Amino acid sequence: MISIQNVSKHYGTFQVLTDCSTEVNKGEVIVVCGPSGSGKSTLIKCVNGLEPFQSGTITVDGVSVGDPKTNLSKLRSRVGMVFQHFELFPHMSITDNLTIAQVKVLGRSKDEATDKGLKLLDRVGLKAHAAKFPGQLSGGQQQRVAIARALAMDPICMLFDEPTSALDPEMINEVLDVMVELAQEGMTMMCVTHEMGFARKVANRIVFMDQGQIVEDDAKDAFFGNPRSERARQFLAKILTH
Amino acid sequence: MYEFDWSSIPGALPFLWEGMKVSLEITACAVLFGIAWGTLLAMARLAAIKPLTWLAAGYVNLFRAIPLVMVLLWFFLIVPQVLRGVFNLSATTDVRLASALVGFALFEAAYYSEIIRAGIQSVPKGQVAAAAALGMTYAQAMRLVVLPQAFRNMVPLLLTQAIVLFQDTSLVYVSALADFFGVAYKVGDRDGRLVELLLFAGAVYFLICFAASQAVRHYQKKLNAHGAH
Repeated sequence: MISIQNVSKHYGTFQVLTDCSTEVNKGEVIVVCGPSGSGKSTLIKCVNGLEPFQSGTITVDGVSVGDPKTNLSKLRSRVGMVFQHFELFPHMSITDNLTIAQVKVLGRSKDEATDKGLKLLDRVGLKAHAAKFPGQLSGGQQQRVAIARALAMDPICMLFDEPTSALDPEMINEVLDVMVELAQEGMTMMCVTHEMGFARKVANRIVFMDQGQIVEDDAKDAFFGNPRSERARQFLAKILTH
Repeated sequence: MYEFDWSSIPGALPFLWEGMKVSLEITACAVLFGIAWGTLLAMARLAAIKPLTWLAAGYVNLFRAIPLVMVLLWFFLIVPQVLRGVFNLSATTDVRLASALVGFALFEAAYYSEIIRAGIQSVPKGQVAAAAALGMTYAQAMRLVVLPQAFRNMVPLLLTQAIVLFQDTSLVYVSALADFFGVAYKVGDRDGRLVELLLFAGAVYFLICFAASQAVRHYQKKLNAHGAH
């Protein structure tokens, strides 16, 4: 579904990504982790072309992201993305947030889009909030709306960029619950997250990054049981002892 | 000691009112055109295409570095001649006033574009990314996501600029356009009561602008109180 081959990226002389390669097959859940500044957010943003890269290739469902001939908007409309800071549109009601792209990008009718949006809002447990504005919801609620907004586009896969990092601890689980459910239904997911509990529960593979390189790309059990690299071991020791 | 004589004002009120209508019309035109053209300039200035950025920046810097009265005179005296030459207009077609008005609007657009540019930049980058991630084109992201938020943040500044612009309209007297200030001046000149008429005109400008500023301040407070959305 997602194929990343030898991707490198630099800002001027600063190398952000070096020769990164990995695969996400249909129905797989891949967790990308690593210390901050390791390039994991940049990598996931390269997948839907939000960040350009200088060399290597990324294909999503057979479409090359880096190819200048690719209609990126069209590709992005098929790839859901959830951001660290939710990025709901603050000037629109929750319903409008859920429907605007369905109507303007996919060309669905207002009724059809509203129907779909409200169904998904119900699924993330927020049906009662349809008429509110994002500013009236808690962070966890906003992130669940953001997931529903992405799902409303019927994406072929979902990208999560640190979806719980900006949340208060008591709200993290409500978002993770939605993500776990999604994973169990067979959604193809690439998640940048530090939530190792989530990774243990649903991930197929763990990609560990450090200093712009993919250091490990292992099945979940192998990664948690016996990480091969020293850096991954140190990272796990730090993140799991607290 | 100078003796004030206000007696010529009541009789002149209908003329002054006509003048005020012209002033308000010029203001409305320049605000609408200034915001529309200013928005395009601001977007050009923030675009990824370098030559477009330079052109917009050159335009804005040029108009902001020239006195308005000079722009008005150019557009009143020179541009009509050029237009006449280029389009082969007959000598009877008077395009001077229209030209002065266009000059005024072009000038104000430079100021509006700077306000709007700041407004666009006040919208977090993540909003553009989120719009793009949903498959919106750049134009859709701007129109549906960025500009509505930018304009909401900018309303007080845009209104304040409109008040400044209203005052600036008095400069069109150089183009023989009968605006409020121009009429007051003419009436005062005619009746030999220039001091009274100019004081009266000043008082009217003050009242209108002061009241409008207070209204903007009130609106801004309300906006800040609602803050988050």
